[in-house]
Amino acid sequence: MRARYPDRAGTVSREGVRLGYEVFGEGDRTLLLLPTWTIIHSRFWKLQIPYLARHFRVVTYDGPGNGRSARAVDPEIYSLEAQASYVTDVMDVTNTTEAVLVSLSMGSMWSLSVAAENPDRVIGQVFIGPSLPITPPSPTRADSSASFWAQRDDPQGWEKYNAHYWLNNHEDFAEFFFTMCFPEAHSTKQREDCVGWAMETTPEVLVAKARVDDVSHETVLDWCSRITSPVLVIHGDDDRISPLSRARRLADATGGSLVTVKGGGHIPLARDPVIVNLLIKEFADRLAGPAKTPA
Amino acid sequence: MRAREPAWEGYVDNDGVPIYYEVHGAGEPTLMLIPAAPITHSRMWKALIPDLARRYRVITIDGRGSGRSGRPTDAESHSRAANVADIISVLDATDTDRAVLVAHCHANWWAVEAIAANPGRVCAFVAIDPGIPYLGKPQPHWVETGPHWGEIIENPSGWQLNNRHAITTQHRRWVEFFFNEQLVEPHSTKHYEDAVSWALESTGEILAAGDDGFEIDFPDRETVEAVCRDLGVPTLVVHGDLDVCQHVDRGKAFAEITGGELVVIGGAGHLALAREPVKVNRAITKFVDRIEGTAMRQHTWTRGLSRRKRILYVSSPIGLGHARRDVAIAKELKKLRPDLEIDWLAQDPVTRLLEAEGETIHPASEWLASESAHIASEATGHDLHCFQALRRMDEILVANFMIFQEVMEEGMYDLSLGDEAWEVDHFWHENPELKRGDHVWMTDFVGFLPMPSGGDHEEYLTADYNAEMIEHIARYPRIRDLALFVGSPDDIVPEVFGPGLPKIRDWTEEHFQFTGYITGFEPPSDDEMASWRSQLGYGEDEKVCVVTVGGSGVGRDLLEKVIAAYPLAKQSMPELRMVVVAGPRIDPAGLPAHDGLEYHGYVHRLYQHLAACDLAIVQGGLTTTMELAAARTPFLYFPLRNHFEQNYHVRHRLDRYRAGRYMDYAVTNPEAIAAEIIARAGAPVDYLAVETDGAAKAAAMIAGLI
Repeated sequence: MRARYPDRAGTVSREGVRLGYEVFGEGDRTLLLLPTWTIIHSRFWKLQIPYLARHFRVVTYDGPGNGRSARAVDPEIYSLEAQASYVTDVMDVTNTTEAVLVSLSMGSMWSLSVAAENPDRVIGQVFIGPSLPITPPSPTRADSSASFWAQRDDPQGWEKYNAHYWLNNHEDFAEFFFTMCFPEAHSTKQREDCVGWAMETTPEVLVAKARVDDVSHETVLDWCSRITSPVLVIHGDDDRISPLSRARRLADATGGSLVTVKGGGHIPLARDPVIVNLLIKEFADRLAGPAKTPA
Repeated sequence: MRAREPAWEGYVDNDGVPIYYEVHGAGEPTLMLIPAAPITHSRMWKALIPDLARRYRVITIDGRGSGRSGRPTDAESHSRAANVADIISVLDATDTDRAVLVAHCHANWWAVEAIAANPGRVCAFVAIDPGIPYLGKPQPHWVETGPHWGEIIENPSGWQLNNRHAITTQHRRWVEFFFNEQLVEPHSTKHYEDAVSWALESTGEILAAGDDGFEIDFPDRETVEAVCRDLGVPTLVVHGDLDVCQHVDRGKAFAEITGGELVVIGGAGHLALAREPVKVNRAITKFVDRIEGTAMRQHTWTRGLSRRKRILYVSSPIGLGHARRDVAIAKELKKLRPDLEIDWLAQDPVTRLLEAEGETIHPASEWLASESAHIASEATGHDLHCFQALRRMDEILVANFMIFQEVMEEGMYDLSLGDEAWEVDHFWHENPELKRGDHVWMTDFVGFLPMPSGGDHEEYLTADYNAEMIEHIARYPRIRDLALFVGSPDDIVPEVFGPGLPKIRDWTEEHFQFTGYITGFEPPSDDEMASWRSQLGYGEDEKVCVVTVGGSGVGRDLLEKVIAAYPLAKQSMPELRMVVVAGPRIDPAGLPAHDGLEYHGYVHRLYQHLAACDLAIVQGGLTTTMELAAARTPFLYFPLRNHFEQNYHVRHRLDRYRAGRYMDYAVTNPEAIAAEIIARAGAPVDYLAVETDGAAKAAAMIAGLI
């Protein structure tokens, strides 16, 4: 059972790709909780939705390839341009003229590009564990991505970040990856959840997504320079997927605030939901200015 | 002493009336605090200024007719227009393009007009207990007495004193009545004294002119409502729900019409800004930070299981004695919990000892308002009225509590340990929702006791303070997780807290754990004592008398009297040598010179001198006298006059240890001192042994919490 069910759910299609969205609560201010890498789907926001929806209107959707969205294997479906379009499509279909965009990891890219291109529709952004190519990845990860398409015997550790390995060992890769995401002790439930959501998609989807070209360092910094609305970055100092230096760089480049979660990994929204919830609410309240009703 | 002095101050001249202002701090934005002149002036904001000025630039203004501003007596000079012009003139004089106005009571209407007439000048508005014409229902006593304002009433009483003739001719009576009515909260003696004294700096004639001036060009309802509706700045209304001057409905109505936020303080009257300063400070800063979008920036939040165990140790700076016992407790704690981090929130002179001991001083310590400077400023001659000094320290205690609270919230401490940290204990009981971590309260005396010089009124005041403390503990037993009495039950004075209140000993035994006395050092062995004596150059055939008055600067009078005794004693005791330690704040130049008499500003390891000498002459402070008791040194002690702790609590304890000779400074002449020196220097003592395991006992109890 979910702690809170949507008040409204539906689908939106773009060029034949169907995406499922959900709307919770009501209010003047909308928080759009973006999808992330398609290895998991919108249920990863489960610890945020009930709380945030008591204070704001909350919209979520599943990106292509997982959850209630189509399992497309055409790489175009996963391009940056397409992903940015899904954000505005969902805003349109839910009558959301402007929103606070909240993203995890890879979702940061789509959030930034939408905010840079549509400044009138984005009033603030919260980035959690942003994964943006603005500082180098850790050396072990850099090595593994260089050999992503190579066939390996008995890959270990980050060598499992490999197309062939995914196709044959989908679940083991997911186990490995989410072990890396949750370095915090006692994270069994969080890993189980994520692995379970990963099993709802297919390795073919993940490989199709991997064919999309990476966005350049310069493009990201250009987006950052065009951001005028407030930014909050939340990042674990033990993030083994995306180093803390990226969060610092992002906060610097956008003039945003940075909250470092000491002892935290890549997905603090699942592992430290209370502080993340409070930070998102405080940020969104601040955007709103003083409440118009007596409190 | 004030908790914070202005960065600069000045006057503007408005049609010949000088208007005084002060500027504190340098942050953004600027807040201007506007008091309800002429019945009060800018000191009404004293509990808010230090906290606000640490974050923002704060301008205070004394309204016309009060404080350090001019005293016009005609109604025209007290018109709204004149008061509004004063606000704008001070903004101009301080180069303030943009300000948050914070006003109290009827001054809110001046602020509203200033905002409306100067679009863009004011970026936000905090209205405390606003009285805006027509908005909300007025209190019935204003409605009833208003029509009789100009009459002459025979023997007016109560609210009938709200009358031009009565206010003019019986100013004090009206002011006392008015503030007594306003301070609906129990235990408000200090707030009442403050408010009355500030009001009495003006006159009844001026106060009546202020009321008449308010009526000039009185607007109609439509005008007032239109101005409020179109105010155009974010507004916060703070209002006590028991406000007897401005009914809380008036604040609600103002919030409603301006679309502003409303914070109602339950159980509070008209002076919540003085009576509930912590809540009001936090409401204002939260509002201003939200408007300005400041805060956060760079912040680290540490996961619960990733945190080391941390204690914030708050050591009272009044006298160095606490510091030594606190360091001893900290060392014992670290033995029991080697992974423990201890940060100290402390001020000079405690920080000197902590630095020497290699302890970690929290950087926020430098923001603390000086308690020891306040105490020094309260002393005259051999006299320190420490109960009144503590009462007059109210604004320093609020200022330092706000810093403490911020440090606790930011630092995620597991426990705060307060050695006579009055501000922590008091304000956590007053604002229990703010408690963070466990709290250990530690003291070496319980109960304020009246001095005879204070008469019945002081008996009433001390009983009131004790009653408040007893009510605090009864209502919120969860605030003190552990209460430690540094001593034994027998050290507690055989007194009551006041009429109808419990016996101090019974109550304390019920609410405290006892550690035994904590000196903070090992008493010297006979061998050590002998070696110290030779190292210090005190000869076998000399009789060495060490005179010390501590580091606070209080004590020159005692030094002079003791020095006058020296030549008299020397006649009968030629082997007498007197070593005077004057402390860093007393200049020995100007004190008489004699053969065998020497002066020191400071001596390293004073405790060795006190242990090795033949006689010590000191004030009545607990730490020094108990050090002497532990070292079994003969000593004379002179409690400061009007210092209830030295005269009752310390003396009672020393009597129990059979230690020292009590001397009354007022009646003791140099001849009597000389006689005591001759009788006691080097004489044997039969003191009870002073405990040596107090710090370890205290640490073991504290460690149970962490």
